[in-house]
Amino acid sequence: METVIEARGLTRTFGDVTAVNNISLSVRKGELYGLLGPNGSGKTTMIKCLTGQLKLTSGDVRVMGLDAVAQPVRVRELVGITPEQETPPSFLTAEEYLHFVGHIRRIGDTEDQCRFWFELLEFGDKRNVLCKDLSRGTRQKLMVAQAFLHRPGLVLIDEPLINLDPIMQRKIKDYLTGYVKGGGTVFLSTHILEIAEEICTRVGIIHQGRIIREGPVSELRSGSKHLEEVFLEAVRGDSHA
Amino acid sequence: MLREEWRIHSTLFGSAGFALFPLLLVFFAFAGALFWPFFSDVLPAQTAVILIHSCYLLAGASVGGFGLFGREVMNRRFGQASLIAYSSRSLPVSEQAILLGFFLKDTVYYLVFWVFPFVAGLALAAPFAGIPVLSAARMLATLSLSFLLGLSLTFILSTVYVHSPRILLGILVLAAAGAAFSVHSLNAGVISLLPTLGLYYRPSFLLLLATLLLIIVPSAISVRFLKVEYREETHRFPENLDRLSRIFGWSPDAHLIAKDALDLNRSDGGAGKVVFSFLFPVMFIWVALFVLLRFIPVLSQLMVFAILLGVISSTIYNWVTEFDLFTSYAFLPVEVGTVIRGKLQSYGLLNLVSVAILVAAGLGTGQVALLVPALLTFASLSFYAVAVTVYVGGLSPSIMLYNAKVYLPYLGLIVPVLIFLLFVSIPNPWFALLSLLLIPPGLFILRKALARWTAWEQPSY
Repeated sequence: METVIEARGLTRTFGDVTAVNNISLSVRKGELYGLLGPNGSGKTTMIKCLTGQLKLTSGDVRVMGLDAVAQPVRVRELVGITPEQETPPSFLTAEEYLHFVGHIRRIGDTEDQCRFWFELLEFGDKRNVLCKDLSRGTRQKLMVAQAFLHRPGLVLIDEPLINLDPIMQRKIKDYLTGYVKGGGTVFLSTHILEIAEEICTRVGIIHQGRIIREGPVSELRSGSKHLEEVFLEAVRGDSHA
Repeated sequence: MLREEWRIHSTLFGSAGFALFPLLLVFFAFAGALFWPFFSDVLPAQTAVILIHSCYLLAGASVGGFGLFGREVMNRRFGQASLIAYSSRSLPVSEQAILLGFFLKDTVYYLVFWVFPFVAGLALAAPFAGIPVLSAARMLATLSLSFLLGLSLTFILSTVYVHSPRILLGILVLAAAGAAFSVHSLNAGVISLLPTLGLYYRPSFLLLLATLLLIIVPSAISVRFLKVEYREETHRFPENLDRLSRIFGWSPDAHLIAKDALDLNRSDGGAGKVVFSFLFPVMFIWVALFVLLRFIPVLSQLMVFAILLGVISSTIYNWVTEFDLFTSYAFLPVEVGTVIRGKLQSYGLLNLVSVAILVAAGLGTGQVALLVPALLTFASLSFYAVAVTVYVGGLSPSIMLYNAKVYLPYLGLIVPVLIFLLFVSIPNPWFALLSLLLIPPGLFILRKALARWTAWEQPSY
């Protein structure tokens, strides 16, 4: 099956801190890959490196067949990204922000896409509200919507459900599952293990910048173990090593 | 709070860059005082003293204003920043205690960073410039008090505003009427209106006491009657981005220009804040040129105005970059260079206001023959100045230019050009057209700037 993300020896340091340390991984088309890790383990840095938002200290990354270091803008044209912290510009309304992204991505049917996402994530009543006045949850819905606006083949999502209520979490989980079934690929980073356990096809556990366990969820959960137990064993084992 | 204040600034500029700022102030005060005797005819000592005291009064007022209302700005710079000044909702501490701490913190911090270095520079130059050392010592006290006066004035006015905007309006009207009456009917000078100036020229214990009371009483009232309202307003607007993008359809970056227009219009103060923050200094320069003409009658007022306007107009770029950070775009398929290009087009459009001002000045003074060269001089200098601004400041010039390590190269690239053009325009105003020679270096600097900032990596750890 076609590989959409291929990282080899990916390393990124910030001064004395090695945020991502010699990581190699590949994600195939149609997978819902979960990158699990405690806070500060390198998940966000990893996503930024994969999408050319950060330069690499060493290693190489190919995304959708392109070198993410040499062609970062082209990579970001092809993929969708939901960042963890960045918020939409303060003085645009929710609807204007989606139109703004539509202009940048040169999408022809932004209006239809807006309608779809406002309806799916139930925030049409906020379409005319300035982004700065939106609640965190609504901003997160908006950031999820903008990532899918151009119907990309690959979406990278950083902590997708953290500010959302259970009903909205269910909707997004269902959407992601359906999106993958339809041929899309999702690279999702989270520290909420239930999400990964429920929807991911394969996961990697990252700790202190290194992948310490990786495999299909069913394989990692040998016997009746929950993913939480696998995760805690791996992280604690690595900390003591 | 003191540590927080230091970290805010050092995070923005780096500790060394920020620590250089007071040294820069020492240098400017020293150089200004040293060369003052050469232009004391144009700027008499008394006028200079009034200007300096007024500046520190305004600085105090602006520091107080930023502290109280600057949350929006902080969040744009640092993400969801929360300063101790805003923490009374989450910590068991009263707003009164926080405001008092805030006042004391600002007093210590800004006296050390703004007032002391200026006076030190002045004192260092005093023996060479013929300024009595005692004047510098006196200025240390009166400038500190001017700053505090501005700070307490902002606090009391904002406290009154929260209780009743009408009462505030009444106070302002009464103050303006009182000042006008004092000046016109009682022949009172500015010195009588600003007590710290009075203290500088006629030091007395009584005046010192009165000045201290003017600082302490309003501050105490502000702390006592502080009322904090956490307004959770929701602003709604119909979709306007597409309509504006169509209007700017001639540009490939129409959506970026449209976004800048909406940012400017919808942020606090609306587009008016750009106009006023730009128009006031421009008006001041225009009036100052009339005064200057008395000393240098050969000066072409329109051409000098065009030269100064060219440099000042580049500050419009600071405004259009004020409302977002590149982090809002970093995950989209767009480069820093593209965003800067959009901002430059917004700058170009807003700069039509400068063109209108220059045309009005030319027609108003009957210098129609000089209008075309003045416009060309203005346009080429404005282009060069904004290219330099982009090179040193990228998408955050209003922050970066506070960094001494950035500000010095900026001055080095602007000031010599400005002085040269001013001088060559004296014998013949048409010589100012030499500014057209700035277009090639401007283009070169701009190209370098776009490459520089596109290669730049947003700090993210």
